[in-house]
Amino acid sequence: MDWVRHLRRNVFLYRRGLGAHIRSTMEYEADFWVLIFASVLMQVVGLVFLWAVFRRIPDINGWAYWDIVMIYAMVFFAEGIGSLFFEGTWRLAWLVNQGELDRYLVRPFSPVLQVMSGEVGVNGLGNIVLGTILIATAAGHVDVRWTLGRVLLAAVLLASAVVIKLSINLATNASAFWLASPFSTFAFAMHSLGDLARYPITIYSLGIRALITAAIPFAFISFFPAAAILHRGPTWWIGLLTPAVAAYCLFVATAIFRRGLRRYDSAGA
Amino acid sequence: MTGDRTPVPAHGSVHVPVTGLRATGSNAPGSNAPGSNAYRPPWRAYRALSSTALKSVLAYRFQFFMALMGNTFLVLTMLYLWRTILASGAQAGFSWPQMKAYLLVSFVANTIVSGLTEWRMAARIRDGMVAIDLTKPIDYQRARFAEAVGFAAFEYFTGTVLVLIALLVFGGVPVPHGLHLLLFAVSIVLVLPLRFSLVYATALLCFWTQNYMGINWARLAITNLMSGALVPLPFFPGWLQLLGKALPFQGMAYTPAMLYLDRFSNRDAVLAVLVQLAWSIALWFGAAAAWRAASRRLTVHGG
Repeated sequence: MDWVRHLRRNVFLYRRGLGAHIRSTMEYEADFWVLIFASVLMQVVGLVFLWAVFRRIPDINGWAYWDIVMIYAMVFFAEGIGSLFFEGTWRLAWLVNQGELDRYLVRPFSPVLQVMSGEVGVNGLGNIVLGTILIATAAGHVDVRWTLGRVLLAAVLLASAVVIKLSINLATNASAFWLASPFSTFAFAMHSLGDLARYPITIYSLGIRALITAAIPFAFISFFPAAAILHRGPTWWIGLLTPAVAAYCLFVATAIFRRGLRRYDSAGA
Repeated sequence: MTGDRTPVPAHGSVHVPVTGLRATGSNAPGSNAPGSNAYRPPWRAYRALSSTALKSVLAYRFQFFMALMGNTFLVLTMLYLWRTILASGAQAGFSWPQMKAYLLVSFVANTIVSGLTEWRMAARIRDGMVAIDLTKPIDYQRARFAEAVGFAAFEYFTGTVLVLIALLVFGGVPVPHGLHLLLFAVSIVLVLPLRFSLVYATALLCFWTQNYMGINWARLAITNLMSGALVPLPFFPGWLQLLGKALPFQGMAYTPAMLYLDRFSNRDAVLAVLVQLAWSIALWFGAAAAWRAASRRLTVHGG
């Protein structure tokens, strides 16, 4: 039962790390509300855009309005979890550039967990709430029969999608070990690449589809799992592979982080 | 609330008398200064700021291009999306070649006054370096505008190059003629002061909040929607179109894109540019008023 104790200790430390950051964030209460408002506003604007487009057309390659709302909502939810619980990932570039990672390495707690719990993105709260509401609303509007099996499938695929999003965040931010820039601009650029997967990927050319399916599997955060849950298109079954893709991404991301950590030689004084 | 965000001069903070400094900058050089030959003509100072800004963006090319990616992926998504939607025929009077042109023009417009101006301003306000900017005998807003002009030289250039690449991939677009080409040229240049004033005024909010990210997101969201960068205003329902026409955002993408498409009558085209010009002037003075309010809140930590 050693691993159980190990896991409990890690969860305990992770929660303590986040808790400290939540308290420090709440010191700036105005900022808290600005961030929540802004993140919700961004998502609402995305929905207004969708709605304006769908006033004119019935569907995009067989995907109706609420189908795409479902995709959007899954992305909001995954990004929300990433921001609220794992925002520290985005500070990695700064930690590496400034040599502040040194402090993490001398503590008896996994460096990657310390990095990830090193910040709280309260904006994630808005995204999780809005994402959940939208998933529930879209579930009521899409043309699907919700059996118990389908609900379970949706839960498993959504959880896998979250893991993929977190893994991509970790992997792209770990580029900091090689790029040595103090800003995570590369990771942000990759993050915005993910916006392509908010629409049915059948609209793209083969090259782009391959890029967001195989190279950086953004399509497995949103499009493929949604296709499997909603049973849309001839290739809906690819979405069933989402848990396997999640396991693979988690493995690759942690491997990249470890390799990077081996390269890390602190900052010159 | 913590004390370090409220201006409390007694606790090691220095309150900079901003108005005095501004007076020096806004007066004609040498008109009231005894050692008048110590002053450089301000326009040379502003020109120097522009060229330094251009050099700095050339030096940090990688950062610039990575930051540009967000916009690029957005326009790429929109191009594919609209190609699919319009494959079965025009919508709201937009055919696929027209929509392509619309999206590419609004992409260039959206690239002007990118993150460079605002993040630098936000960072300097938050860490107090803005106090050093204030000691310089030049107007703060004009100085930031001069920098934005320097950045814009590079932004217009890269925007155009990316558009040419997109044209190779997605095929050609119609080109405007005569008066409309001229008005389009004026309009795309007017995007610069218009966007600058908005970005400048929002960056000033850093005098009130520590976290600029939220403000930046909110502005991006509203601008992208109401400027017509995501979807042309005619796709909106009537009330939202009216709102769009009443706000300054349309001049940041919709106006130049529609002028490029030759979608306005001659009279409406001239009127659209005049509205854009009027908003540019109004927002410039609005931003100046915002600065007067904001700089009074300046707290600089000793240390």
